[in-house]
Amino acid sequence: MVIDMTRLDTGQMQKPDLAPRDNYLTHTRGIWSWLYTLDHKRIGIMYLTCVLSAFFVAGIFALLVRTQLLTPEGTIMGQDDYNQAFTLHGAIMVFLVIIPSIPAALGNFVLPIMLGAKDVAFPRLNLFSFWLWVAGALFFVLALVSGGLDTGWTFYTPYSTDPNSAMGGMIPAVTGAFILGFSSIFTGMNFIVTIHRLRPPGMTWFRMPLFLWGIYATAILQVMATPVLGITLALLAVERAFGIGIFNPALGGDPVLYQHFFWFYSHPAVYIMILPGMAIISDLIAVHSHRHIFGYKFIAYSSIAIALFSFLVWGHHMFTSGQSPLVNVIFSAITFSVAIPSAIKVFNWLATMYKGSISWNTPMLYAMGFIFIFTIGGLTGLHLGTLATDIHLHDTYFVVAHFHYVMMGSALIAMIGGLHHWWPKITGKMYNENWGRLGFTLVFIGFNVTFFTQFMLGSQGMPRRYATYPADAGFQIYHVISSMGSYILAVGFFVTAGYLLQSMFGGRRAPANPWGGRSLEWQCSSPPPHDNFSQTPTVGDCYDFSVLEWNEDEQGYVWRSDIPHPGEEEPGGH
Amino acid sequence: MSQLEIQPDSHGTDHGHDHDHPDHLGHHWENSKQQFEAGKLGMWLFLATEVLLFGGLFCAYSVWRGNHPEIFQYGSQFLDTFWGALNTGVLLISSMTMAMAVTFAARGNRKGIVICLVLTLMGAAGFMIIKYIEYSHKFHEGFLPGYAFYEEPNASHLWLPLEHEHDQDVAHATLETEAHNTAFAHETIDRDEMPLPPPTAEPSVIPAAGTGPDGLTTNELALETAEFAVFLPPSVIGNLENQGPELDFAEHHKPGEVPHLSHPLQDPDRPPNAQKFFTIYFLMTGLHGIHVIIGGVVILWLLLLTLRGRFSKGYYTPIDLGGLYWHIVDVIWIFLFPLFYLI
Amino acid sequence: MMSTLATILPAMLGDATGPTFWMPEAASSVAGDVDWILEFINIISYVFFAIIVFALVYLAVKYRRDPNRKQISGEGPTHNMALELTWTIIPTLIVLVIFWVGMVGYIDLRESPDDSYEVGVFAQKWSWTFSHPEYGVTEGGELTVPLGRPVRVIMTSADVLHAFFVPAFRVKQDIVPGRYSTLWFEATKPGSYQLYCAEYCGKDHSKMLATVHVLPEDEFQDTMGKLAREYEDLPDADLPRYALVRLYNRCASCHSLDGSTGTAPSFKGLWDRTTEGATVFTDGSSLKDHMGSGGEYEVPENYLRESIMNPGKYVVENYTNVMPNNFASQLKPRQIEALILMMKHMDELVDEEGNIIEPPETEEPKASAMTETTGDGD
Repeated sequence: MVIDMTRLDTGQMQKPDLAPRDNYLTHTRGIWSWLYTLDHKRIGIMYLTCVLSAFFVAGIFALLVRTQLLTPEGTIMGQDDYNQAFTLHGAIMVFLVIIPSIPAALGNFVLPIMLGAKDVAFPRLNLFSFWLWVAGALFFVLALVSGGLDTGWTFYTPYSTDPNSAMGGMIPAVTGAFILGFSSIFTGMNFIVTIHRLRPPGMTWFRMPLFLWGIYATAILQVMATPVLGITLALLAVERAFGIGIFNPALGGDPVLYQHFFWFYSHPAVYIMILPGMAIISDLIAVHSHRHIFGYKFIAYSSIAIALFSFLVWGHHMFTSGQSPLVNVIFSAITFSVAIPSAIKVFNWLATMYKGSISWNTPMLYAMGFIFIFTIGGLTGLHLGTLATDIHLHDTYFVVAHFHYVMMGSALIAMIGGLHHWWPKITGKMYNENWGRLGFTLVFIGFNVTFFTQFMLGSQGMPRRYATYPADAGFQIYHVISSMGSYILAVGFFVTAGYLLQSMFGGRRAPANPWGGRSLEWQCSSPPPHDNFSQTPTVGDCYDFSVLEWNEDEQGYVWRSDIPHPGEEEPGGH
Repeated sequence: MSQLEIQPDSHGTDHGHDHDHPDHLGHHWENSKQQFEAGKLGMWLFLATEVLLFGGLFCAYSVWRGNHPEIFQYGSQFLDTFWGALNTGVLLISSMTMAMAVTFAARGNRKGIVICLVLTLMGAAGFMIIKYIEYSHKFHEGFLPGYAFYEEPNASHLWLPLEHEHDQDVAHATLETEAHNTAFAHETIDRDEMPLPPPTAEPSVIPAAGTGPDGLTTNELALETAEFAVFLPPSVIGNLENQGPELDFAEHHKPGEVPHLSHPLQDPDRPPNAQKFFTIYFLMTGLHGIHVIIGGVVILWLLLLTLRGRFSKGYYTPIDLGGLYWHIVDVIWIFLFPLFYLI
Repeated sequence: MMSTLATILPAMLGDATGPTFWMPEAASSVAGDVDWILEFINIISYVFFAIIVFALVYLAVKYRRDPNRKQISGEGPTHNMALELTWTIIPTLIVLVIFWVGMVGYIDLRESPDDSYEVGVFAQKWSWTFSHPEYGVTEGGELTVPLGRPVRVIMTSADVLHAFFVPAFRVKQDIVPGRYSTLWFEATKPGSYQLYCAEYCGKDHSKMLATVHVLPEDEFQDTMGKLAREYEDLPDADLPRYALVRLYNRCASCHSLDGSTGTAPSFKGLWDRTTEGATVFTDGSSLKDHMGSGGEYEVPENYLRESIMNPGKYVVENYTNVMPNNFASQLKPRQIEALILMMKHMDELVDEEGNIIEPPETEEPKASAMTETTGDGD
């Protein structure tokens, strides 16, 4: 007879000040037990630490960039240094932070437990993925010290492959990105096989929480798109080292071919960044509104639709590159098709809030902030997908504002929201809610001030990647406001980091289910035991919260005593 | 009921209570079949990524061939079909021996596995040896990608050091000033101070090509007669003169017509940018060769595991998955061979 | 702040083509169309934004739970096909309209009229050269075009990707080495407008600026005529100033006039350094080693000439070889002479701080501006 985990663990009824005697954090000790761990939860933690450190580094570069642009002639740096600053900011953020952040850091931790499995399908491959990330990061450090990197994160040819043009750190950086690509591919493979093969009985596809649908769609993209980045970077490195002429017009090559190769991956890549974020938001809104998600199937299918369509639109990054007008028209048309599934999700989330019982706690604030910011980001995508306007807006700050709205304001905000949501589960501690709200407020305000002004900057004509700008073009006031916003944003992040770290040492003990979630990760203790489940769990409707009630002693939610567990006929009893 | 209570400090290895748990079974799997199926799914996903990795190069091949078929027709005559066919045979046989290894593994026949894996490994080694023969012949003759193509045959170094690019630039600039002079000079400027071009390959054989799918190329704009063209440097004007010879070439040189040259540089009628053939040839066969080496390492590892007795009738997943990998390496070569050697 | 006001004020005062909140001034025939398409998308965006944010805030407030009650919501629909279809189909129709409008506007941007006036654009790191084949004129850093006539630019690059971007005209196109690319515009307002390079091309990408001067037809013809003859007819004594005013802007992004160095040595004091022969090169030799009778450069002018025509030959120490090597084909011999003379007479032309000294007599300034102005309205 298969036992329902949910009943057993909540039956343990831990008091808030008693941690479970043995959990994944305490199961084994010592640094090597972490570095060689096969436990997906520990791997997730290691990823989280590394990704957040990289975020800090890239954030410093961002602050340098914003400070430089306070004055038209440049405030603090020469041109070469500025070119390196924006390149490294972009490359680190894209390859080291945003792409791995939700899947590898949060996904690794949450996915198996939420699915009802004991681990991912290939734990050793999972550890290998992590060490590949570290290797990739080391190559980026190597790039910094072996000449620097100033090509922009897009490495456009022929600039990047000309040794007389781009700086010497090109090949290490490109190698690092190549390695990171494999880290991403292996993570994607792992997740796909896990979701296909390790679902417990009863966990049909349409009983999975939407977070898993989003991760699944992301994993498909990781596996299908990243190899193309691999070959592109390999060609870049070979061209730079040996001058074979694949992208060099003097030898019959084509610089625009590189752009096609690069964006064939990099457009799906941006969906690798946003799909997990949207996946988190679906669950955050449902749980914190304490209401069944609206339109489950539509949200699930829209994730898959976005993943598939994303392969067809890469040319919209190249409208001015010299492609024929016909090709431009086709790409523009398909680009609009990608907008629709995203819009469907937003409407479904709002409908979920209707007649909900909404807690205004930090994860929910981040989710609502996401909706606000993603709406702006998505709508400005319309301006850029429209051919006539994109000609004017391409390569200006309008594009910069758009992608920061969706990559940072949406994907990263979702990640932070998810981090807060699963923080009690991961650490077993509760953070201080008031500080959480303050942090959110600073981040939200700082973010919008920083990046909304950049829309105007761009449409007024300020180009991207400029270390200086003409003094009489009227740009400076926008730059000043934007930079002020970036400082507020930075303060917000420091505040957030501060209270989260503090909670790890001095926070209140967390119950198994502080928010009232129904998916399986809330049915094990906080932090979870080493192998998640000893018996395969049985699964009910993960969005039916009506079976839960608040327990004052535990300061968390427990299964209602008058309702039977799935697979049982009588409530409460064995 | 006590056996069903969860012990919070239970071991991770304390699995289910109603079936034995072999060593090879990961703790998170219910049974061997589940693990095997999952492994297979994972491997197929990985093979998909390999196909996509090569896909980019196949794409580049198609685009280049579509735009400049004469380069490929011309270039392929310098490849020796004999060695290519031999390589194909070697790989096919090794694929067969690999499949046999998997069959033996399913039957639990350890000796059979070892023999077949050794044969497969010999096939991999044979492929690399033949590849070495082909490549070294090419390096010797001077069939090299990129700038290296324009070096003298029998050049002592394989790859150009980067200074060569600088020399190219100097030579290029010099020739441009010379061309500039002939275009404009009625003012006398003392040219004796200008350096003579260094005795390397002539950069002027590398005109800037006007390629690009659907892009705006020179011919579309019919700029030959545009007067402003004289204001632009010869490297750009080279575009204009480039387009004509390509079309003529295809008429003059039919496929199969082998001029019995040892190097295209000796053929004044060769198509412009003939080195593109060798560029894509080395890129694709090189990447494939790297995968053959990786496959060989995998097979060697499988061999060692077999010798240590890791596999049995109930568990031979790594051999199965390794076999899948080897088959895809073979399949890719099956595509490469005709594309470069036959057509 | 003031310059922002200066750019926005005209619109506020009723100039329909002046800058607005979102867009800079509109100075081309297509700018109006692009602007209204942008406004169209803006309005749709404002509406949807308002709906979504209003719903968000309203729902968040109305259904906010009492923190002390912690009730679970058991009610509320979980799906509604009609609603899903509605909010799928309506946005789909809207984006189809946006796409169509954009496509039609784009076709106008790409199809240049047959009788367009053609200008050649040659972009290199980090300067612009424009050529007018009809008049035999080459301009550096400044593009003079006629008002009210379609202009087609035919562009190529010497080295890496660049892009031609004039915000006031709403046009942009990448410039790819190895092929020609084009765009067209018809200027509708006389004045000077900023031209940016809009594809990252290296160190001085943000300095790769130019100015587009739009002149009424008759002034344009005059200017072309003057430019065509300007150095041919000039007496030798006027060549230095000609070089400084008309040619130097192609060098300005790297070579300063005031002694400051960065990418390249400053022109200030260059002639003195050249005649002394003190300059040391990266290969360890000094200029003196190459000068004098029997040496490479019999006279110092020849070293300057070689530095322009074949810059990679000797690179001054502590600098790198980044100077484009195709000025030789862009400059006519007399223009090179002018540049050499400019170096020789730099003290008379430029003061200590690098500012140009105005000529003593007040002759009318040449049409189409000096090098310092950057586009700022009329």
